[in-house]
Amino acid sequence: MTVRSGLFLRAALAGAIAAAAFVLPGVFASAQQVDMNVVDQPGYVPSPDEEQLSSVYEKQEVFFRTNEAPGTVVIDTSQRFLYLVQPNNRALRYGIGVGRDGFQWSGLQRISRKQEWPDWRPPPEMIERQPYLPRFMAGGPGNPMGARALYLGQTIYRIHGTNQPQTIGHAVSSGCFRLVNDDVIDLFDRVPVGTKVIIRQAVAL
Amino acid sequence: MGNGNRGALLALTGLAAAILAGCASEAPPTPVVSAPAVSPDALVGKWGLAAYHKDADRPRTVKEALAQCNKPYVIKQGPNGGLMMYLADNAQIQELVLKPGTNGVTYLGPPGDAGTTDDRQVLNVDPNSFTTIWVDPDNAARYGTMVYERCGKRT
Repeated sequence: MTVRSGLFLRAALAGAIAAAAFVLPGVFASAQQVDMNVVDQPGYVPSPDEEQLSSVYEKQEVFFRTNEAPGTVVIDTSQRFLYLVQPNNRALRYGIGVGRDGFQWSGLQRISRKQEWPDWRPPPEMIERQPYLPRFMAGGPGNPMGARALYLGQTIYRIHGTNQPQTIGHAVSSGCFRLVNDDVIDLFDRVPVGTKVIIRQAVAL
Repeated sequence: MGNGNRGALLALTGLAAAILAGCASEAPPTPVVSAPAVSPDALVGKWGLAAYHKDADRPRTVKEALAQCNKPYVIKQGPNGGLMMYLADNAQIQELVLKPGTNGVTYLGPPGDAGTTDDRQVLNVDPNSFTTIWVDPDNAARYGTMVYERCGKRT
């Protein structure tokens, strides 16, 4: 599948989800759990309109009851939200994209490193699928890693930006957590190296 | 204007008309088709492939390309003397050819005219590296400048 046909399919999928939400609001919660399994678009620079998230995934302060200390990051994989705990049972909530089926995980980590405009190295399975891709792309606008990256402990996983804002709210990645670039820049500026990160994954019954 | 000047003007007009008529009746010049400046053999091999958008990133991108030789981009000679490679966003390998452009630039793409949107420009060719930039502005913006570094240098 080419990127252009991928774009068409994504647009069709987004349209189908929007249509389902309009006609049958009750099914939207399950429709948005669709594993998009999208093809990355290295070099693609989204427009400001494309970077505008639907209201539920926009950064916002919410009520959040927790025993975790302010400054802790809590990632709720099943709900597609990242919370930055604030005092008084409040949190800043960001919409995220998460790992697709088989690539989701849970655990406790700490931010081990922070990087502005990180470089991108497509994983081997992606090179196999898209052998025309460069094996390394220097950081910058259009890079699939987006504007910032926060490395999670010694794992291969990161919280990072994206050049595919349409994937926020979906299970698309290989286990990393992605935010739109404005949000990841905001989070990057708020959390220091050493920040505790709790990754929660609800058990499907 | 005197008679002498008028005569001179008429003579010049006639001369100009003759020249124009002559130009119009001449056959268009035959384009000179030269061989591409780059030999296909120079591009055959295993390459580390990396890309950048800002010139300041080129030096480290070259190093990164070399570091990617565990996932090489392999270019083989095609059955018709071309090169087996990929176009942008197309996982189907196909035979591409080197094509001389009218501006002295060498293009690499499907057989046919040089400089079409499926082509890429081939720059800075030496035995161990070359650089390409897509002609299509969308591809060029997305992929930037692509650097190929030979895995196992030729001496």
